[in-house]
Amino acid sequence: MEHRVVACGAGFAGDRTEPAVALAASGLVDAVGLECLAERTLVPGLRARRTDGDAGADPRLERRLRPLLPVARANDCRIISNLGAANPLSAGRQIARLASEIGCSGLRVAAVVGDDVIALAKHIEWQEPIVGEMLGAHAYLGADALRDAVDDGAHVIVTGRVADSALFSAEVLPILDDNLDALAGATTIGHLLECSGQLTGGNFEMPNGDSLTAQDFAELGFPLAHVRSDGSADLALLDGAPGRIDILTCTLQLLYEVHDPSAYITPDAILDLTGIRFEEIGPNRVRVSGARARGRPTRLKVSGFVEQPGFVADIEIGYAGTHALQRGRVAADALRMRLDNLPQKDLRIDLVGVDSTLGSASLPSPNRTPEVRVHVSARCSDAQMAQIVEDEVYSLTLSGPAGGGSVRSERRPSLAVVDGFIDRDLVKTETVWERAS
Amino acid sequence: MRVGSISVGRSGDKGGTLDLTLVALDEQGYHWLESRLTEVEAQAAISRVMPGVLRRYPVPGLRALKFVIEDALPGGVYATLHAGLHWQKAAIWVLLDLELD
Repeated sequence: MEHRVVACGAGFAGDRTEPAVALAASGLVDAVGLECLAERTLVPGLRARRTDGDAGADPRLERRLRPLLPVARANDCRIISNLGAANPLSAGRQIARLASEIGCSGLRVAAVVGDDVIALAKHIEWQEPIVGEMLGAHAYLGADALRDAVDDGAHVIVTGRVADSALFSAEVLPILDDNLDALAGATTIGHLLECSGQLTGGNFEMPNGDSLTAQDFAELGFPLAHVRSDGSADLALLDGAPGRIDILTCTLQLLYEVHDPSAYITPDAILDLTGIRFEEIGPNRVRVSGARARGRPTRLKVSGFVEQPGFVADIEIGYAGTHALQRGRVAADALRMRLDNLPQKDLRIDLVGVDSTLGSASLPSPNRTPEVRVHVSARCSDAQMAQIVEDEVYSLTLSGPAGGGSVRSERRPSLAVVDGFIDRDLVKTETVWERAS
Repeated sequence: MRVGSISVGRSGDKGGTLDLTLVALDEQGYHWLESRLTEVEAQAAISRVMPGVLRRYPVPGLRALKFVIEDALPGGVYATLHAGLHWQKAAIWVLLDLELD
């Protein structure tokens, strides 16, 4: 049976850069996918693009591709990424320029555009009312949008918002059997790969506390998949790469963020994952099969980014030494009194190291708490109000329990991500080519 | 018995929805979890920490249970009043640390 080897070189924009280079250098991999786009990356891109038409691609593009491009070119490994963020066209030009500069002459870059659907706004069916200023609206494209670029032999495919899985399944499309279950299989493999280290032992702990070592995490290998034309695949690590791929790590990643496992909606197919079989066929080698499709969605999901006035002010002050916990609790109570004019729903005060993450479900500490940090977050209507809340925490250094210090604070803009849907026939994609001189 | 003594888990999210997965280490563990960690039990544990209505999806073929809590993260990850971003990555311990008979 024909097969293609696809690998994951990044699971988020700030992911480590070395694994992608190692995968490309292995000579085993037909395409390495770099998943680099989230709201936190797209929104600054949208803002930057407003004042500079050439801005809006991910600012990490060069850091990530400078070491990877020559290795991938030498090993005939395609790079497929959503590093284009809010401006895939500009990203295509940047990549061609970078390739020229580092001697990858003739490198062909395909920029795939069409995810930006703000011009089609009147056709988007939003799931909740839009309150505030719409910064942008981006549809999740499927692997079909990348097909021309694959067929026409792009060395690099760069785009904006596509389903994460499509960055990996696109490479397999030309060899897939002509049925929806095979496409469901390839999409499932893409979903398994898209979070890089989460398939290979990252974010994973056994009941007895066993996990990888610090050294393993520091050099964690990212996964690759030998995908067959029927949509089944073997998942693996490069020989010698630290990590762990087994039925447990695969099952956790398979079901990660899918909601209903019998109907996981992707632009390429609605996936039924309940019949998936995993088989450990060797050390760090797992065979996956049994994906089924339950049709293809007629609408694409759209993310709308809405900037609202105001901030979340997020502030901490630390206490240490004997009675640290007691002083932290008193400080928290004093702040509750000082800030009692704020609506309850817009204020949170807790103790980092005690109950800030899981609240009342946090486990009690059997030992004396050596240090504690009082945390305050407040939803503030404007900068002046954020300043007042921050100042209340700082005030504790003079007028609060003994020894308050190590204060830090940040303000986060108030950003809402609103889901919508658009008829997929309305979303037209285009492939724009660049060539390194 | 502690849920996390016989299973592994992971938290995820999409928009305002929290998405939790537990995978039992063996068949016997799965049947125990499936019968004890009911939708009602899981909802009660979750409601101590966050809002939202929980729905459970058993996946016996993978020895897994999924729990999807709509509107658990009002306004999405970026609107949180927790310290820093992405507290929900730790939310699976609400279930892993549950003691059930």
